[in-house]
Amino acid sequence: MTQTSTAPARPATLFDDPQQSRARRILGSFKGPVGSISATLVVTLLIGLVWVGPSFLSPSNVQIVGVSVAIPLIVGVMASFALLAGVVDLSIGSMVGFGAVIFNQLVAAGLDPWLVALITVVVGAVVGLTNALVIVKFGAEPLAVTLGMLTLLRGLCQVIVVSAPPSTLIDPLYNVTQGAILGFPTLLLIGIGITLIAAGVVSKTRVGRKVQAVGGDDRAAARAGISVTTVRVIALMVSGMGAAIGGILYVGQLGSASNVLGTGLEFQIYAALMIGGYSITRGGVGNPLGGLLGLLVVAGITNILNVQFFDPDYLDLIVAIILLAAVLVDRFRGGDSFE
Amino acid sequence: MTTSLITAADPAATPEGPSGRRRPDRRGPAGYRDALSIAAVWLLLIVATTIVRPDFLSSQTLLAVTFTMSISGILAVAQAIIVISGGLLDLSLPVALVFSAWATVTALNNGLPTPVAIVIGLLAGAAWGGLNGVIVVFGKLNPIIVTLATGFGGLAVMLIFFTSAQIPSGSDLRLYGLGRFLGLPNIFWPMVIVIVVAGLALHFTRWGRHVVAVGGNAQAAKARGINLRRMRLATFIGAGAVAGLAGVMFSAVTPSFTAGAGAGFQLIVIGAVILAGISLSGGKGNLLVLLLSVGFLATIPASIAFFGLPPAWALVFQGALLIIAVGIDGYRLKRTAR
Repeated sequence: MTQTSTAPARPATLFDDPQQSRARRILGSFKGPVGSISATLVVTLLIGLVWVGPSFLSPSNVQIVGVSVAIPLIVGVMASFALLAGVVDLSIGSMVGFGAVIFNQLVAAGLDPWLVALITVVVGAVVGLTNALVIVKFGAEPLAVTLGMLTLLRGLCQVIVVSAPPSTLIDPLYNVTQGAILGFPTLLLIGIGITLIAAGVVSKTRVGRKVQAVGGDDRAAARAGISVTTVRVIALMVSGMGAAIGGILYVGQLGSASNVLGTGLEFQIYAALMIGGYSITRGGVGNPLGGLLGLLVVAGITNILNVQFFDPDYLDLIVAIILLAAVLVDRFRGGDSFE
Repeated sequence: MTTSLITAADPAATPEGPSGRRRPDRRGPAGYRDALSIAAVWLLLIVATTIVRPDFLSSQTLLAVTFTMSISGILAVAQAIIVISGGLLDLSLPVALVFSAWATVTALNNGLPTPVAIVIGLLAGAAWGGLNGVIVVFGKLNPIIVTLATGFGGLAVMLIFFTSAQIPSGSDLRLYGLGRFLGLPNIFWPMVIVIVVAGLALHFTRWGRHVVAVGGNAQAAKARGINLRRMRLATFIGAGAVAGLAGVMFSAVTPSFTAGAGAGFQLIVIGAVILAGISLSGGKGNLLVLLLSVGFLATIPASIAFFGLPPAWALVFQGALLIIAVGIDGYRLKRTAR
C-alpha cells in the first residue's frame, strides 16, 4: 500500500532535498496519515474476517465493495485537488446529481451519448469555473460559495426532474460500470488507476508541489512566483469535472437519475478523505492514496454492517467517531490546533 | 472599545484569514448598508411579486412568511452567535433542533407539566451545544469538522432510537403553536424577542463584547485576559440553548416529526447568516440585519408559489443569492483592505 515510497528514488533535480535512505522514507511515510489509516484499514479487515468469516474476502463480496466504492473514489480523488489547493468544494454531491440528471435526460431525449457526456463534463467545468470566479476573483469564503452552489444545483435537479426520471441503458457504459476484469470490478480498477496517477502527480511532479504550496500558504506561494489564481481555478474545475464524470458513471450503474441522486455524497466523500489525511479547512495536506484508504475503510465498515444485517444508521455513527479520532490524531501529530 | 486595539495588535493571524482583510470598524456604516441593501432587495421582491399577482399582499402571505421566519430565525441566531464568536460554523444545528424537540415532546408525553417540558427542551439544546463545545475546546479541533461529525453521528443515533415523535394534541404547547397573537403566529414573537435580546447582549454586555473580541482575534483576546476555553464553551452552550428554544417552538407547530426533520433548515440558516454580512472569519455581525435576511429568504418560497413556478425554484434562487451575496461581501472586504 505504499507504492509511492517504494518507487526508485529519482535524482533530486527539482529540489535539493537531501536524499534519505529508503528504509527511513518508508518508515517516515507510515508515521504520517497514510500509515495510521493503513492500520485502521487492517483493523477493519481483521474485524470483518473475524466477525463475518472468510466469506468477507470472497470474490463476490470484494466485487460488491469495489462497485460501491469506485465512483465515490473517482469523484473524491478529483475533488481532493481542490482540498489540496485550500478551497473546499461542497458542491460536488449536487454536481454528481446534476451531471447525472442532464446526462440521463439528454440521452433519453435521443442525443448521442458521447456528445452528451462531453456536454456534461463541460457543464461540470463551468460550474467549477463559476465557483472559482467568486472564490478567487472576489475573495469569498469557499465554504459559503460552494454551499450556495450545492443548493442551486440541487434546486435545478428538482426543477428538471419532477416525476419519475426516464431510464436509459447505454451498453458500453453499463459494461464499464458493472463489468469485471479477472474478478475485479472494472470501474474500481479505473478508480485505482486514477488514484495512482493523482498520487504520482501530487508527490512527484512540479504541478503537485505547486498545488500543495498554494494550499499550505497562499501568500508565501504567491511570493514564490506561483499563480494562486490559476492553481485554484484549475483545481476547482477539476473537482467539478470529476463530479460530472461521477454523475455519468452513476447513470451507467443505475440506468437512471433521480433528483435526489448524490444528496449528502459530499459529506461522505469528505469524511472519508479527512479520515485519509486531508483537511477541509486547510490545504496543502493529504495524499490521494490516503483518500483511497479512507474510502476503503468506510466501504469496509458499510459492508460488514450490511452483511450482518445491522441498521445502516450505525455506519454514520461509526464514521463520525473515526473522523473525530482521525482529526484528533492529526492534531497530535502537529496538525492545526483550534483555539 | 477594545476592537481597534485588538485588530492593531495582530501579529499572529490564522493562515486562512489574513488579518489585513478584516475591517477594524465593525459596526460602522457597513451594517446600515447591509441592512439597507437587503431591505431594498426584499422590497423589490415584494413589489415584483405584487405586480404579477396583486393578491400576493394578503394576510395569508404574511402568515406564511412569518411562520417560515420563526424557527429559522431562532436557529439563525444560534448560528450567528457561533459565527460571530469565531467558531466558524455549526453544521449540527438541525440535530440540536430535533433533539430538543424530541426531548420536549417526550417530557410532555410522560405527563410532565408544560414549563418543565420547555425547560427540558432548552437544556437538551444546551447539552448538545455543550457536547460540541467540549470536543472543540478540549480536542482543540476545528468546529466545522467537529460539528460535521457530531451532526451526522447525532442524526444516526436519533434515527436508531426513534422513528417519529408526536406532541400530545391537546397539550398547552400544541395549542400555543396553533395560536396567533396580534395577527401573527404565536411562535413569531419568541423569535423577535430572541433576536432583540441577543443583539442587545452582543453589543452592550461584557459577555457580548468578549464574544466579538474572541471572534475578531482569539489570540489577542487571550492576551487581554479572556479565558478562551470558558468563552468558547459558554458560546457553544448558549447557542445550543437558543437552538433548543427553536426545537421547543418546532415541536409546538409540528404535530409529528422524524429524526431527519431538521435537515431542511441547514441551508436557509447558514444562508441567512452569510447574507446578513456576518463574516465566517468572525468578530462582526449585526442581528438586526439577520432579521431582515431571514425575512427576505423566507419570502422567496412564497413569491415562487405566487409566480406559479415549482417550489424547487426557491432552492435555485436561494443558492444563487448566497453565491452573489458572499461574492459581494468578499469583494468589499478585498477593496477595503487595500
